[in-house]
Amino acid sequence: MFKKYFLTPILMIMVLGLVACGNDGDESSGSGTGKVSEDVVELTFWDENAGPQRTPIWEELIERFEAENPDISIEYVGLPNSSSKSKLDTAIAANNTPDIGSVQTSWLPEFSARDALLPLDDYFADSELSGLINEGAIEFNKEIVADSKLYGIPYTQNLDVIWIRSDWFEEASLDAPETWDDFFHAVEAMTDSERYGYTIRGGAGGSIQLQRLMFAYTGFEQYFDEDGNAVVGDPANVEFLERYFDLYKAYTPESDITNDYKEMIAGFDTGVVAMVHHNIGSFGEHNKAFEPHQFEAIPLPKTEDGRYVAEGGNTINVAIFNSTEHPDEAWRFVEFINSAESQSYWNEQVGQIPTNSEVLEMEWIQDAPHIETAFEVYDDPNTILYQPPFYLPDYRSILDNIVDPGIQAVMSGEKTIEEFLTEWATAMEESEAKYKEVFNE
Amino acid sequence: MLNVKKRSNKILFFYLPLTLMLTWTIFPIYWTINTALKSEGDIMKRPLEYFPSAPTIENFVMAWNNVGFATFFKNSLVVGISTVLVVIVLSILSGYALSRYQFKGKRSFLLMLLSTQFIPRAMLIIPLFIIFKNLGLISHPLSLIITYTAVEIPFTTILMSGFISNIPKELEEAAAVDGCTKLQAIRYVLLPLALPGIVATGVFTFIYTWNEFLLALMLTNEQTRFTLPVGLSFMMGEFNVNYGALAAGSVIALVPAVILFAYAQKHLVSGMGGAVKG
Repeated sequence: MFKKYFLTPILMIMVLGLVACGNDGDESSGSGTGKVSEDVVELTFWDENAGPQRTPIWEELIERFEAENPDISIEYVGLPNSSSKSKLDTAIAANNTPDIGSVQTSWLPEFSARDALLPLDDYFADSELSGLINEGAIEFNKEIVADSKLYGIPYTQNLDVIWIRSDWFEEASLDAPETWDDFFHAVEAMTDSERYGYTIRGGAGGSIQLQRLMFAYTGFEQYFDEDGNAVVGDPANVEFLERYFDLYKAYTPESDITNDYKEMIAGFDTGVVAMVHHNIGSFGEHNKAFEPHQFEAIPLPKTEDGRYVAEGGNTINVAIFNSTEHPDEAWRFVEFINSAESQSYWNEQVGQIPTNSEVLEMEWIQDAPHIETAFEVYDDPNTILYQPPFYLPDYRSILDNIVDPGIQAVMSGEKTIEEFLTEWATAMEESEAKYKEVFNE
Repeated sequence: MLNVKKRSNKILFFYLPLTLMLTWTIFPIYWTINTALKSEGDIMKRPLEYFPSAPTIENFVMAWNNVGFATFFKNSLVVGISTVLVVIVLSILSGYALSRYQFKGKRSFLLMLLSTQFIPRAMLIIPLFIIFKNLGLISHPLSLIITYTAVEIPFTTILMSGFISNIPKELEEAAAVDGCTKLQAIRYVLLPLALPGIVATGVFTFIYTWNEFLLALMLTNEQTRFTLPVGLSFMMGEFNVNYGALAAGSVIALVPAVILFAYAQKHLVSGMGGAVKG
């Protein structure tokens, strides 16, 4: 009786479920890896910032690669940007990583310390890419990891800029700000009854942007001073943040306290704010909203002594994971992505800076004003490139879990700027001390 | 005079609050549909358009074809329906046992069921991943079906037992007098009466599986096996938010849930009531 009424339906459900799943599997493998002969090597590639804009670019590049390399098949897996780090963390913990991945530079120290990545020094030295890829970026990648090896080849570079409404500036007969005094003056001048001069990122990701602004203001070249104190706690930063957060509500929207990327950019693109701090990567969004003459990217204001400051390592890399059984084939894909043609295609579509020097001569680069702005900063011999302590395993978690909420606490008046900066500096100093202790420095 | 006062009272205390509440609830849905029907340029346009001046379905086409919502939708359906069926069968049986039988350790068993609800899901990710990896089920819908079933069973069992307790035991005894076996009594007497509870359990489970994001992302390593919530999160990159496709995707994700609720509404209310009374 039990069989008749319960076991049978349960079994049927299970079987139906399996059949449905099984069919699904056949279909999926048809487009990806299933219908390939035994000689074809199948590799998996994880993209850390997938979406309707970037996924088709990768798919096109993979198609080109497979056409050139019929013995290799690449399976693309796109990950949503906000969860890609935790997805990779899980994969590393369970030893189930992909063969190749697009990896942010700040992840390299942690991933290499967990022995998840394959050193690429030998491959790179023997490759045609050697000498073509931005040397500074390659060296940076080596400097930030504990064993000074090369774990990722940067295929794109970014730079923080301030996007301004050039048409409004022109109407107000105001020049684009070059110094911090100009900047604060412009924020005030641009604010009227219908619009705000600026918008602050108070929500997720605010810490990274704020840190870059603080360094651009103070001009510090090192994250820690000789005594091991984090310079974020320096009085110069207190002074800057007092001026900066004074803008909140008076010249910026009140909702800034929860501003994430999308709210902040929407504020600019819908004509609610005149200036927004982001990077050249959001060019595509502004380009959709405005005519070319209505907006432009300007560098972050110069320090008092007239120097630009930018964060080193603002790149994204292609890395090979240690678990791969086909490192040679994986390297061929890394090489392909970093070739002049592929880098040019990817970066032109996205609107960022390629790292392959051959691309820099191409016409589209010369015609893209926001990329020209980026070169103005990177090519200036006086530009300070400071190095954040990416090597600290909890660097990102301090920013995400202490600094991000701290910004909101300051904006809501729960914390003073001094308290906020002391907490931030202490967390970094403790982490640095622990790191030195472990590595016996 | 009294009539006028009565009417104005009704408007003030009945229609007005209800209208306000409804507007509050409906507005985000209306705005999502409005955005989904606008072309990309119109979404950011000022002044705001409260109705799309040139409605288009391009966002739906893009979400369905380019972003892969067709696949995500199918995956979500497979996982959702399979989980619901398994959960319903198991929770009827366990709910019946809890409601009708007295056994040693029943109270601590109930307590344990409740305790499972306090474990944060994020803590389970790595152990679950390793288990399913060893079983060869990573990226297989079964990994999600099994996990969701395990996550849902404690709550649905308690829900179901509460509902079954509400059905008089005498009905089954009468069926037994008429010659029914235990299982026949359940099948012919109990199940039809427990239908509202079953529907409530099913809807509750379906909505959970339909919306679940974290486990769906973590236990899947293949693009073609992602479910709808993962698909929706693709629309919000750091450098690109496609509001039109995001809104269209949300509408697509909303449709089955709305249909399900519309169909199951009656049962749902009485089902929940039954469980609470029990």
